[in-house]
Amino acid sequence: MTGKPLLFNDVRHLQAHQFLVDEAYLLDGQHYEAWLDTLSDDIRYIMPVRVTTALGAGFDTSPGMAHFDETKYSLSRRVARFLTEHAWTEDPPSRLRHYITNVRSFACEDPGQLIVESAELLFRSRGDVNESALVSCGREDLLRCDGGQWKLARRTIIVDESVLRMQNLAVFL
Amino acid sequence: MAGHSEILDNVRSGMIPAHIYNDNELFELEKKRLFSRAWVFVAHESEIPQDGDYVVRRVLDDSFIISRDSNGDVRALFNMCLHRGMQVCRAEIGNASNFRCPYHGWSYRNDGRLTGLPFHREAYGGEAGFRKNSQTLVPAPSLGTYNGLIFISMDPDAAPLEDFLGDFRFYLDFYTKQSRHGLEVRGPQRWRIKANWKIGAENFAGDMYHTPQTHTSVVEIGLFREPTAQKRKDGATYWAHSGGGTTYKLPPGTFEERMRYVGYTDDMITRIKGVWTTEQQRLVGEDGFMISAASCFPNLSFVHNWPRVEDGDPDGDQNDGTVLPFTSIRLWQPVSHNETEVYSWFVVDSAASAWFKKKSYKAYLMCFGSTGMFEQDDVENWVSLTNTAAGSMARRLLLNSRMGLLSDDRPVVEPLPLESFHGPGHAQVGYNESNQRELLKLWADYLELPEPSAAPTAPGTARPA
Repeated sequence: MTGKPLLFNDVRHLQAHQFLVDEAYLLDGQHYEAWLDTLSDDIRYIMPVRVTTALGAGFDTSPGMAHFDETKYSLSRRVARFLTEHAWTEDPPSRLRHYITNVRSFACEDPGQLIVESAELLFRSRGDVNESALVSCGREDLLRCDGGQWKLARRTIIVDESVLRMQNLAVFL
Repeated sequence: MAGHSEILDNVRSGMIPAHIYNDNELFELEKKRLFSRAWVFVAHESEIPQDGDYVVRRVLDDSFIISRDSNGDVRALFNMCLHRGMQVCRAEIGNASNFRCPYHGWSYRNDGRLTGLPFHREAYGGEAGFRKNSQTLVPAPSLGTYNGLIFISMDPDAAPLEDFLGDFRFYLDFYTKQSRHGLEVRGPQRWRIKANWKIGAENFAGDMYHTPQTHTSVVEIGLFREPTAQKRKDGATYWAHSGGGTTYKLPPGTFEERMRYVGYTDDMITRIKGVWTTEQQRLVGEDGFMISAASCFPNLSFVHNWPRVEDGDPDGDQNDGTVLPFTSIRLWQPVSHNETEVYSWFVVDSAASAWFKKKSYKAYLMCFGSTGMFEQDDVENWVSLTNTAAGSMARRLLLNSRMGLLSDDRPVVEPLPLESFHGPGHAQVGYNESNQRELLKLWADYLELPEPSAAPTAPGTARPA
């Protein structure tokens, strides 16, 4: 984002920051139904595939390909799957920690919207044999005030690896 | 290696020594005898549509620039400067007329020709010291394409790709030829899994038996209604020369009705009929089989399923636009004996409508790839299997991979006659591990071949190497 971020003592920034930290709590604990309720019905949740390109190439994502390119419906199917008794990849569940930092908030023309940038490090440990895995990424979110509640209306996840070192993305970022 | 003929004999009898899925000594043998010979997929021509486009891909530890040169020809160039061995291209995708080595500035055209050698006269005495003319980056020993799929072989004397693929081409067309216009290929998504590369290849080749168990959840949430136990049992599995796969049995209907059932639109069906042979059409229209997963030896796989991508009545009309097919190509690139880099591409016919491409892409993302709801559970199994195969107990256990065979090797279910299955090779319905055995038999055959010989390349010098 260009432009000046909101001051860290601005109540809008405080609300945005709290939104992200509260969300991280839900994602750490895999409280995915509650997490779905924090998303607007028209959510766009996108995680492009990053690629290594020469300086000046003008692009650093794989054309037309993403890891996530989600709507509320497709996210709801992912959550519904975790709620079945047969989502083996998370049974036993991973131990997750979403670290959120570098939060900057930006006012929009519409006072009911905020743009929020953050950095995220996800730690994921499974079982007792293999090493834990990390995903590092930056996020740009659009928060929208809906009946006095902030909801996530758009998230773009810019992952920092071109080749993920995690067995799957049966997690949310 | 000592005792490996016993391992291969067991594999050929359908009894799989469990440690083959986590054994560094065998991996070294695979590198020397298998990946040194077999044709390995690296890219699709549509990933490099314009002159100068390139992607960089590996075969094991060897990096190749797959480029379309300024004459429009596809090249596979070993990504190592002839001078000091630096990678001349360190990006993975882009467009370039030249590759300039950052170390000492040697530069190469996108067809591989050495064009720039700083101080050629002063440093080498010109052509007398280093013959620059006609020098090129070292090309891949063998290069071949089929339906735009680019393969390379590390064996300079490899048999032609067409012969290597053989009758599997009949089935490859279902995935990669749906019009005269060719494929549009997107991706790949790439990620690393702590699993042996063979497991994915075997799974996609013929493991219809895992689907109702591993993928129960995707049926429960209404994503894909086919993989119930009964439907998988009714499907046929086929093996033809270098590859094989699974199919689903479709409800009764004509070719057009069955193609519509899985979500193809009428314009696509018309184009498909223009390129599929009569026999290919009969496999769907008369026999009622629709391709699902498949593998081509050694480490290339395909999947074609037709999930529900939007809210709709789960018991309603299948043709309401919410159920669509997608196709994915995937490569199980070995990193080590217990780690694999997965390359997963979404592919769609380039002539399909924007509407279809968008929905089919969505179908892919929901089902396969790094976030796919099928793939998530597959990988969990494969990682667990690989971990457990590391120890001494795994050396004492022969996994029974004889499903579909009686103890005297007669089949549990008779093969399908040609009039019930209009494809080449052999096919049968029911649960079996026939294709996994076929894949591992080829693996065993390769592991008994000597390492192919290749003369060294000695650029610039007139003296023999």
